[in-house]
Amino acid sequence: MTAQRLISGGRIDRNKIIKFSWDDCWMNGHPGDTLASALMANNEKVIGRSFKYHRPRGIMSAGVEESGAIVTIGEGAKRDANVKATTQELYHGLTAFGQNAWPSVRFDVGSLSNAFSQFLAAGFYYKTFMGLPPFEWGQGTGTWMLYEKLIRRAAGMGTSSREPDPDNYEHGHIFCDVLIVGSGPAGLSAAAKLSQTGLDVLIVEQDFEPGGDYLNQSTTSVKYSQLLENINNSDIRLMTRTTVFGLYDHGTAGLLERVTDHLSSPSAASPRQRFWTVRSKHIILATGALERNIAFGNNDLPGIMTAASATTYLNRFGILPGKKIIISTNNDSAYGVSIALANAGASVKLLDARTTLPSKLSHTAKGHGVDLKASAAALNASGSKSVSGLEIATLNEEAWVQGGSEDCDLVLISGGWSPIINLLSHRGSKPLWDDENCCFMPGSTDEHIEIAGAGIGIWELSKCEVSGEVAAAAAAKALGKTTTDVKKPSSNGWSEKIRPLYEVKIHGKGQKSFVDPQHDVTANDIKLAHQEGFISVEHLKRYTTLGMATDQGKMGNVIGIALMAEALDKNISSVGTTIFRPPYTPVSLGAFTGRNFNNHFRPLRRTPMDEWNISHNATLTDAGLWRRPWYFSRHNETIKEAYIRETTTTRNVVGLCDVTSLGKIAVQGPDATEFLNRIYTNPFAKLPIGKARYGIMLRDDGIVLDDGTTWRLAETDYFMTTTTANAARVMVWLEELLQLRWSDLKVHVTSVSEQWAGCAVAGPLSRDILKSSIETPNLASDENLPFMGVIETKLKNGVPCRIARISFSGEMASEIYVPSDYGPAMMDLLWETAEPLGGCLYGLEALGTMRIEKGHVTGAELDGRVTLEDAGLGKMASNKKDFIGNVLRKRPAMVDDYRPQLVGIFPKNRKEIFNAGAILCNEDNISGLGEGWITGVTYSPVFGHWIGIGFIAGGYKNWISRGAIAADPVRKGNIEVEIVSPHMYDPKGSRHHG
Amino acid sequence: MDNIVTLRVSALESNYTLGHFGDGPNSDIIFREVKNLKLHQIAFWPETLESVETALGKSIGIPLIPEPNKSIIKKNIAIMRTEPLKIWTLGSNTPLFKANEATTLDLSHSRSRLQISGPKATKLLNSFLPIDLRERSFPPGTLASTVFHHVGVTLWHTKVGYELFLPRGFALSLWELLLDGAAQFGYDIT
Repeated sequence: MTAQRLISGGRIDRNKIIKFSWDDCWMNGHPGDTLASALMANNEKVIGRSFKYHRPRGIMSAGVEESGAIVTIGEGAKRDANVKATTQELYHGLTAFGQNAWPSVRFDVGSLSNAFSQFLAAGFYYKTFMGLPPFEWGQGTGTWMLYEKLIRRAAGMGTSSREPDPDNYEHGHIFCDVLIVGSGPAGLSAAAKLSQTGLDVLIVEQDFEPGGDYLNQSTTSVKYSQLLENINNSDIRLMTRTTVFGLYDHGTAGLLERVTDHLSSPSAASPRQRFWTVRSKHIILATGALERNIAFGNNDLPGIMTAASATTYLNRFGILPGKKIIISTNNDSAYGVSIALANAGASVKLLDARTTLPSKLSHTAKGHGVDLKASAAALNASGSKSVSGLEIATLNEEAWVQGGSEDCDLVLISGGWSPIINLLSHRGSKPLWDDENCCFMPGSTDEHIEIAGAGIGIWELSKCEVSGEVAAAAAAKALGKTTTDVKKPSSNGWSEKIRPLYEVKIHGKGQKSFVDPQHDVTANDIKLAHQEGFISVEHLKRYTTLGMATDQGKMGNVIGIALMAEALDKNISSVGTTIFRPPYTPVSLGAFTGRNFNNHFRPLRRTPMDEWNISHNATLTDAGLWRRPWYFSRHNETIKEAYIRETTTTRNVVGLCDVTSLGKIAVQGPDATEFLNRIYTNPFAKLPIGKARYGIMLRDDGIVLDDGTTWRLAETDYFMTTTTANAARVMVWLEELLQLRWSDLKVHVTSVSEQWAGCAVAGPLSRDILKSSIETPNLASDENLPFMGVIETKLKNGVPCRIARISFSGEMASEIYVPSDYGPAMMDLLWETAEPLGGCLYGLEALGTMRIEKGHVTGAELDGRVTLEDAGLGKMASNKKDFIGNVLRKRPAMVDDYRPQLVGIFPKNRKEIFNAGAILCNEDNISGLGEGWITGVTYSPVFGHWIGIGFIAGGYKNWISRGAIAADPVRKGNIEVEIVSPHMYDPKGSRHHG
Repeated sequence: MDNIVTLRVSALESNYTLGHFGDGPNSDIIFREVKNLKLHQIAFWPETLESVETALGKSIGIPLIPEPNKSIIKKNIAIMRTEPLKIWTLGSNTPLFKANEATTLDLSHSRSRLQISGPKATKLLNSFLPIDLRERSFPPGTLASTVFHHVGVTLWHTKVGYELFLPRGFALSLWELLLDGAAQFGYDIT
């Protein structure tokens, strides 16, 4: 291939120079160039190396179907592998590198593998799993471990950066009435037709310039200019540099917009790419068609490409891609290419596999100096790193025979056209083989999708325009709009019928003919797969890797299926095809992620006291989505030192703990009491105003759903608290009950978790803290605020608050709630009083220690398997009223005495430590799932050793004289433990009753 | 203490700096947090809708409950129908109701109220919210319960622009995301 930039022509801006680097060599291009066109203009021939054999590869097309010019763009953290040079817009300072080669794509040591290609046929690596014959026959794959790395290193494409992606990505949502995919003649015509309807239309174009095939014409079409003007003067939105990579349910499409991939110095704030979700009412697919190759010898050499792409390079980029050109075709489309190239000054020979040539086209071609040869095709290309000659085959009674050879510097192939049916295929529409056009056509669909242009096998540009208008009229009608009538294009197909041609070979002549160049799949690989029994098209694909990875079947599928059909002696339609799946072209993982990474991987939920806690030296931890204080280290304490101090101080003096994360639900209405009485296992009908009650709610199946306290604030007004973990689940459950089962109850439930900031004040001096902090100290007396009492009052600073005397720690304690914005003010007030008294702030770790000592359950215990009795709360079930879960909780298996029940756990040797998650086993039978499990452990300052909480069969009374083992084989091994009552600390509750 | 409102601390406080930011000199987006939110919920039942309307007319001068997801604004007071049987009153106290007529709740501290306006406001919001914000689908006066990075939020379209009601605990995290998204434009925090 001897390409050169012509002195005029093309859509590039010749007045500006763009400097870019290819394998560290600086070159020039122009605005409007792709990387491929700029490389071609600089007469670069070898752009890539093949996947398996490391054969030199050049530019094979001018679009997304590219299989040869696959390169790496950028360096360091911004390195982006497997970019198709044909779609990469050129920009100043672009750095591109060849990939899968060492030291370079021009001289690649890896090309030695080509010499061993007969050992590297389809599925060779599967066979290596079987071991090295004869040494490993029947023994497995010992040597695989030795050469796996070599194979992995030799095969493949580019290498991703190992550094974090420095770019931003963004998600977005678009709504429209009609989504038009593709801005070629059909797409633009459809849009222009719809511009009069008032419908909201979105056109999406993967190229950086709208126009599709209009851009490949030698002169700018008047119609093209008119259509663009029409669209620009309307409200129609046109997105370029954007690919519709997938179609989904109900008119939803996935789009990837390349926002800054064409910019030299993009702003750091701009997203590199946007992942759009489009929701449309109707879709018009004007996606065009891809020209196919033909399998013949060495058809992957640089300097061999699809015929139409030569027109693109000539007319769009002003490049004559070769001087002595041979075109091999089986259809009419290459005639126009031959004429254009001949007019540009090239010597052109056109081989047409058909015996009967299209009379008008052939006459015109000859008139432009094209050397035309019928019943002929490319047989075998020669050359080392680019094509220098071509052996020609001629037909002799339907068999190919040697027909001489000729020198050339460019071979163009047109094996027919394949409509781009990928997107429709995403919707489950099965492609249909069309013998007339030798291609898969889109199947039928019941969805609101129209297809226009080459996508339904209309090959003439003017007919594509009409086809687009027809699709637009159908879409408009479906959406209740009227348009002027449009007559469907008269006929499809070629003036002279295409000749089915997928491989050119001469009997007995061995040659390497590529079907899928991107994966080094040859015609022989297809035949080998057939010989080895992989006759299903799905198996063929997976065994040979035909059409996998970034190609997704664009280039090789039809040839591969045709060769399989030939091997099976079937027709193509009965062999079928694989179904295309999203994405149509690759999508960066960063685009899928959007902004949802690092700190925003999930939303962070902060308590109103978050900053206050941090300013008081809190170390924070995640509790679900919440961020809570874990511990408050003093003087560089470790976490263990801190939580032991916090627990000891709280038990002996007083401690303050941010408990905002507890779920809070307002239950209001005249039937609120009845509602609570039905959902809780224990009675709520007679709960006095100004009192709180601990309650448990079950699921329908009798398993514990959640626990918490509910405060009666007024006759019809309750304040329910839930565990942090189950707040949302309980809220949804209550809504479901009210909306679906008990719609007769006049009750409203509303989450008020965000409205209230909460602080637990726990310890012997907690009442002193309360008295000092509220406007009317006497309200905190034992008479006015007894255990489970509730008051609503004001803090000393005037902030309204509600207080309940409840305890999770086992000490005398209260929970104080204020409207959230006042949270920091509340903490200032409470801490002002507690600190001088020797009190402390305590976090989740100390909270956990105290609740384990006390035997209180949390989400760790209420894990969806536990009954009331299992949790030791059987007495909470009322036998005087019904409640949810009351029937099914009495099933025999649920009341089995030997069910695992809540217990406390001490190490037999008090100096030993055991872990949460360990299995509890009988000391004589350490196996299987054991007899129970440990849900939480802590060092207990009260006992002076480690303790745990968990479940064991039959409960602690069943283990009084029996030895148990905490089995933890992966981490700590086996520890002998003693099973005790779960109420390890102050079992009578004298401390919290005061 | 009379003026306890000075003790209120906004959820956005630690990351709310006034000024012009982002790429470019234009005010493509204007953010404004409406602090000291006064927000109440009134929940009623189908048979009490009319009596609630009457009470609202007497107390705040708006004698009509709007259709679901619609709002009515009168001077500095608004009624927003957030659910079929729930409304929010913005900027006013609630009237007293009998227990079997309606229930009321003060939600003034449950949300951060953020106004977002400017020519790129819609684009920014649609970077996060999966709802149709085209004028014909979401005209001024409309509100929607939607999700923002998996968090349930309320979006309100007024003549000024958009207003987001963010659950207080998530507000700072979502605000950070909004600022990240706005950085590609020029934006003001007022």
